[in-house]
Amino acid sequence: MSDTNSITMRDELLPKSYSFHLANLVFWKTMSLLLLGVLITSCSPAPTSPNETSSELASSIEVNEPPDLSGIWQALNTAHWDVEGHTARGMPVTNILGAYGVMQAGTSVVVGDEIPYLPEMRAQQESNQADWANLDPAAKCYIPGIPRQTYMPAPFQILQTDSEIFIAYQWGSNSRSIFMDRPGTSAPIPSWMGYSLGRWEGDTLVVDVSSQMSDTWFDAAGNYHSDELHVEERYSLIDDNHIEYEATITDPKVFREPWTIRMPLYRRIENDARILEFKCVEFAEDLLYEHLRKDYEGPRALDGSIPENPV
Amino acid sequence: MKNSTLAVLVFALFGISSTVSADVPMKSWGKPNLQGNWDFRTITPFQRPASFADKEFLTADEIEEYETAVKNSRAARATAEFDGEYDQQDLDVGYDQFYLDQGTTMSSTMRTSQLVYPENGRMPAMTDRGRETAGYFRALQRRAPEGPEDRNTYDRCILGFNAGPPMRSGAYNNMMKLVQTEDYIVIQTEMVNDHRVIPTNGGEALPSNMRLWKGDSRGEWDGDTFVVTTTNFNHLSRFNGTGENMTLTESFTRLDDDRLEYRWTVEDPEIYTDKYTSVVELQLTDADLFEYACHEANYAMPLMLSGARKQEAAGIEDDTWLPSWSR
Repeated sequence: MSDTNSITMRDELLPKSYSFHLANLVFWKTMSLLLLGVLITSCSPAPTSPNETSSELASSIEVNEPPDLSGIWQALNTAHWDVEGHTARGMPVTNILGAYGVMQAGTSVVVGDEIPYLPEMRAQQESNQADWANLDPAAKCYIPGIPRQTYMPAPFQILQTDSEIFIAYQWGSNSRSIFMDRPGTSAPIPSWMGYSLGRWEGDTLVVDVSSQMSDTWFDAAGNYHSDELHVEERYSLIDDNHIEYEATITDPKVFREPWTIRMPLYRRIENDARILEFKCVEFAEDLLYEHLRKDYEGPRALDGSIPENPV
Repeated sequence: MKNSTLAVLVFALFGISSTVSADVPMKSWGKPNLQGNWDFRTITPFQRPASFADKEFLTADEIEEYETAVKNSRAARATAEFDGEYDQQDLDVGYDQFYLDQGTTMSSTMRTSQLVYPENGRMPAMTDRGRETAGYFRALQRRAPEGPEDRNTYDRCILGFNAGPPMRSGAYNNMMKLVQTEDYIVIQTEMVNDHRVIPTNGGEALPSNMRLWKGDSRGEWDGDTFVVTTTNFNHLSRFNGTGENMTLTESFTRLDDDRLEYRWTVEDPEIYTDKYTSVVELQLTDADLFEYACHEANYAMPLMLSGARKQEAAGIEDDTWLPSWSR
C-alpha cells in the first residue's frame, strides 16, 4: 500500500510504446522538461545529490501525470444480483442455507432507475430471471464480462502502467488489459471480456469496451444484451479511497437508448489487502455436471430441474 | 530516437548508475523492465535425450541439425497416412499437427535440455511416496470418470498444462504477459487465462492452512533479478507430480532488448529425492495474448461424462481413459 494511501501521481516517466499518441505527448513534454531541467541544473550550483535533483524535477511536472488508480478496489452493493432496484428475495436454496440463501435488497445503480429496454425486449429479461438458476452465465463460472465483472462481490486490483492498465479480478481469477497505446485498433475476435482501449480525459480514465461475447448478462436478474453491446467505462478518483465508476451501455438491438450505471468503488485499505484466488470452476461443476455423475439419482440443480443443455 | 535510448541518456546525465548491461531496458525506479509479452516456446527437450549423453551445450551447427530434424519429423507426421501409430496419438490427444504450436527453435541457452540440475539434465527419482501418489492419480484417470473431479486439472480448466506454475513450453498457448509496477509484477498466462499478482517487496506469506491452486507467490529483487518464491499449493495442484509442500523458486532476468532468462527450481523432498532446476530464455513478442476461455468452451467435460455413463449403461468396463501422452 506504499503508493495507495493518497492521490499520488505516476512516477513512471518512461512509456514503453513508441507510437504517436497522447501518452507520448505527455512523454515528450515530460522529457523536454527533464532535459530543460538538466540544462538549468548544469548552469546552476551543483546539487547535493542526483536524487534530489530528480525529485525536484519530478515535482515540477506532476501536473502532467494522470491520477494513479493503482490499488485494490471493490464495489459494495447488490448490483451483481440486480442492477435495478430490488427488494430481498430468496434463492432456491433457502431450504439448505436459510437466511443466507437470499439476494439482498438494493437500490438501483442505473441512472434513471430503469433500464430502457425496447418494448418487446423486456420479456427476455423476465424469462431469463424466471430460469435464472439454470441460465445465469456467472453461476456457471463463465467470465462475467464488462461491466458485470466490476461489481461481482470480490475485490480487484488495478496495476497502472503507461502502455496498459491491467485489472486482476479475484472473481474467477479473471483479468483484462486496457490498452493505452493503440487508439483506433479493434479486436481480432470477440471475447468474454471484450477489447478495452483506454484514454485519459482530464483525470478520468475512459475505457472503450467492444467485441464482447453476447452470452454475458449484467446481473443475476437476467438483464442481458446482444452482440452489438458497446460499453464506455469512466473511472474517476474522487478522493483517496473512492473511485466513481460509470459504465454507459449502448446496444440498439435491445435498448431504445444508451443507459448508464454509476456506483462508487471502495479502496480496500486493510494493511494485508490482496487479491486471493477464486477459481470458480470447481464450485460450478455441480451445477453443470451433477446430472452426469455416476449413480446420479435425480435432479439436484439449484431450482430442482435437470439442465437439459448446461453448457 | 527511441524512448529507451533517451531514458538511458537522461539517467546518465543524472548520474544514476545501473548494474545491468546498457542493452537492458530499465524502469524509472531503477529496476530492469520486465514488462511485455513473452514467448516461451522451445523445442529444447525438457530432459536431456540419451543421445546427448554428458553433453551440456550444443554448437550452432548441432542446433541447426536438431531443429531441422524436428521440422522434418513434424512434416512427416503432418502428411502421414491415418492408419498407424500417429493417428492413434492424434485421436487420444485430440489434436493433429495443425493445432500444435510448439515452436521451431531451441532455446538460445544452447543447452541440450531445459533441466540444468541435476547435472545430467534428467529428472531426479521419485520417493516411494511420490510413486505411490502418482500411481493413485494415474489409476484415477485411467478409469471412466465418475465425475469431473476424476479428470485432471487441465481437463477441468482449473490449471493450464503449460502455465504451471512454473511455466513450461507445451503444445500451444506458450505465452505470458508481464505487467510491472514498482510494487507488483503480474504474470498473466494465456493458458487457461490465469494470473498471479506478485508483490515485489517480499509480501507476507499466507498461513499454511490457506492452500491455492497456483500457490502463494511472493517476489523480491535480488540485484537485477526478480525472484519469486511460491508455496501453499493445494494437494491437487501437482505440477509434475509434486505435492502440496512443494516450494517453487522462479527467477526472471532481463538479458537484453529481446530476451528474458527464466529459471526455476522445484524442491519437494516428500515426492522427489532431489531438487531440479530448469533454465530457458524467453523471447519478447509483439503478439497479443488471446483470452483462452477454457471452461466456457469445455464441451469435452460433459461429453466425457456422458460417454462414461453410456459405457456403464452398456455394461462396458473401460480402463483406457488415460490419454496417450500420459501413458
